[in-house]
Amino acid sequence: MANYMPLDEVLMVIALASYVVGALALLGYFFTHEAWLKHLGIPLAIAGCAAQFAQLVARYELTHIWPLLNLYGSLSLFAAMSVLLFLIFAFRYKLWFAGGFILAMAALFLAYGVTWNEGVMPAVPSLQSYWAKIHVPLVVSSYSAFMLAFVLSGLYLVKYYFERRLATPAAVPVGAAVGIRNDTPHIAAAAAQGDGTAQWLNTLPSLAQMDVLIYRVVAVGLPLLTLGVITGAMWAHEAWGAYWQWDPKETAALVSWIVYAIYMHLHTRNQWRGLRCAWVSVIGFISIMFCYFGVNLWISGLHSYKM
Amino acid sequence: MARHTTGVLSSRDMLRTLYGDFMRTFSNVLFAVLLLLVWGLMTLVGVVVEQGKDPSVYFQSYAAPLARLILRLNFDNIYHAPYYVGIIGLILISLAACTFKRVIPARLPPLRPVNIGKIPLNATVSVRGTEASVRARVEDFFAKRGWQVRKREFGGTEWTFADKHNWARRGVLVAHVGFVIIAAGTTLYWARGFSGDTAIVAGQTVEIPQTHATIKLDRFRYVVEPIMTKTGMVYQPIDYVSHVTVVGKSGVPKNEIIRVNHPINIDGTLYYQASYGFALRLNVTHGGKPVESLSNRLYATGEAFQIPGTQRTVQFSQFVPTIDKQTGQPSSDPRVNDPGVVLSVFDGGRPAGAALVPMRTTVAIGGGWSIEPEGYRMVTGIQYRYDPGAALVGIGAFVLLAGLVISFYLLPARLYVRVDPGVASGGEASRWDVGLAATTVKGYDIFETQFGELVADFQRWLDPRTDPKASTPAPEV
Ligand code: HEM
Repeated sequence: MANYMPLDEVLMVIALASYVVGALALLGYFFTHEAWLKHLGIPLAIAGCAAQFAQLVARYELTHIWPLLNLYGSLSLFAAMSVLLFLIFAFRYKLWFAGGFILAMAALFLAYGVTWNEGVMPAVPSLQSYWAKIHVPLVVSSYSAFMLAFVLSGLYLVKYYFERRLATPAAVPVGAAVGIRNDTPHIAAAAAQGDGTAQWLNTLPSLAQMDVLIYRVVAVGLPLLTLGVITGAMWAHEAWGAYWQWDPKETAALVSWIVYAIYMHLHTRNQWRGLRCAWVSVIGFISIMFCYFGVNLWISGLHSYKM
Repeated sequence: MARHTTGVLSSRDMLRTLYGDFMRTFSNVLFAVLLLLVWGLMTLVGVVVEQGKDPSVYFQSYAAPLARLILRLNFDNIYHAPYYVGIIGLILISLAACTFKRVIPARLPPLRPVNIGKIPLNATVSVRGTEASVRARVEDFFAKRGWQVRKREFGGTEWTFADKHNWARRGVLVAHVGFVIIAAGTTLYWARGFSGDTAIVAGQTVEIPQTHATIKLDRFRYVVEPIMTKTGMVYQPIDYVSHVTVVGKSGVPKNEIIRVNHPINIDGTLYYQASYGFALRLNVTHGGKPVESLSNRLYATGEAFQIPGTQRTVQFSQFVPTIDKQTGQPSSDPRVNDPGVVLSVFDGGRPAGAALVPMRTTVAIGGGWSIEPEGYRMVTGIQYRYDPGAALVGIGAFVLLAGLVISFYLLPARLYVRVDPGVASGGEASRWDVGLAATTVKGYDIFETQFGELVADFQRWLDPRTDPKASTPAPEV
């Protein structure tokens, strides 16, 4: 019998390859501003994302097992949703500059997820619930939004601190018109003088605009995480008889929720927007990663079944 | 008398100052952030430190001083520690203070003139026409786009105010109320709810102490599927099913099936499939004669009994569903094929030996005593819970969510518009300068793009002949 690669694995290879090449192209675009790199990266991002969703569908069709219930499946969805959300935001707000980082992270998470592929495995009883089909996509999508916010926050911080480094007392102040548009005058000045780093930082949106972008992305993630926690609690109520058991996983999700609630409250204050909010968003994503991997891999599960 | 009055006044003043300080602190968003931070950190401690274990576990996992600290600070049961509940209480108080001091009073900002040039989002559009027609078109423009338009005159100048999504200022209130409802639901459970668990051996009946319902386990069944994965054989559990007969308040016995994810409801209390196990019957003999008191009963996993007249105890440590034929060791197959049990013997409390004994095999443990694992019965672990607050928590969660969505996706904005005789055109009577400025509840940056688009639209509306691209004013600063 010929040993063909199953369809879902073929799609997975296509997705991974698209992400890797797409990430290189968009990173190249980020640093060089060569338009052709962008035009190469965007279709690859779309192709990878489409291949991923097709892969999930194919896997479901081939196995008749809901494909999101283990780390392999959920990481696949995480990568796919991250790229999808990125694409939506990028088309709406011209975020292509962040694409290389998103695709690179998606590729890493996806590759890591593939190492957890155990083959066809039916779900344990506690996971056999329609809630699984609602809860997991919600939570994973919120993680994806937070990843996008994290990448934007990282870029914000790089730009912010570079501006601050340039703004030493010796630096020449540039004009007085520091406002919404140009809130990094020193980078602009250095860019005009041919400083390479300043030139690519200068092509990023203004700090104020990036802050707004981060807020918009967190505003997608937080309601999703809230819904995710709620549906998780409803599921737990059905499966274990208590909607809240202070299980490490749900508690870690609560910690992340609190961090992003802090973000939202700080963002209501003028003086705390921007830099501090960007840091909170970074901390938020660290807590998300801890909730996602730390709890799964390092902290012993509570719900082992047998007496 | 006078002195007395002063005394009363000053203590009242003091109270008032104290109240003022309290309200100022508790309604401060940064104070709320601080409370949330403390809450988050405490919650994190509970993720990292295992909860609800025996003190000895902490001494095994941590250095002794750290273990002592963990126990002294209640870190082993942090979510029920008074200070944990206290911080949530403080958050609720802060929420209430802020609701009454900030959120409810923050209605529409008063209609008053502003210095348009001083507001970061501003633009001036020059337009031809009579004053009345320009004003009418301005009004029309905003009304047609769903803005609430109002006009006021200040010092002879007429101002137009346009508001959008003003009601969405209530989003914060809705989110906060949602959180309060969740807290109320949780409190209701603490006050009036209960939960517990029970183990039922097949064929036996238990009565639930709080509800007096009785549950008889007719049969317990579990399904496990062996699956060959890339890393080896895995025995994947597929189903756990308890067939029970229950008697609730009605007194009528009913046959029910409890499975994971499918609890049953008896008079408002829910019963869940939580775990399973095995109960063991032993045949204990002394000098070849059965010892009735030790033989005619069932032993739960972990249960021990003392050999009469000795210092020895025997413990039923573990049920082994399948003994591997080749190695004679427990296999990882959880299905019952060649079952056995691990029996441990203790002498004066100290371990004296343990053995894996196949079912129906007799082992001699000295002094003329022999033990034979004779048979087993399935045990189901049932959890139950009566939670009168669950519905409230659910409602609160969705109110909270609605609040989040309203607050995040709708941006209450206000436009200030004034019409002045055109200056740019040298006082030409038919030219007017329409000045616009925008404020929002979330600062200016978030409205920058929309404002730009609005102004371009506005310009096209006022004067369709102008080329919007050429004259779109960038927001000035
Ligand atoms: C954990 C429970 C809480 C939740 C779920 C919550 C939710 C929210 C949400 C969704 C917003 C809107 C943010 C935005 O539009 O960007 C908000 C704003 C606000 N929250 Fe909370 N909040 C909580 C606790 C608190 C507490 C304890 C206070 C006490 C001071 C507080 C004070 C405020 C204030 C004053 C605003 C509006 C700020 C402004 O617009 O100037 N919140 N809250």
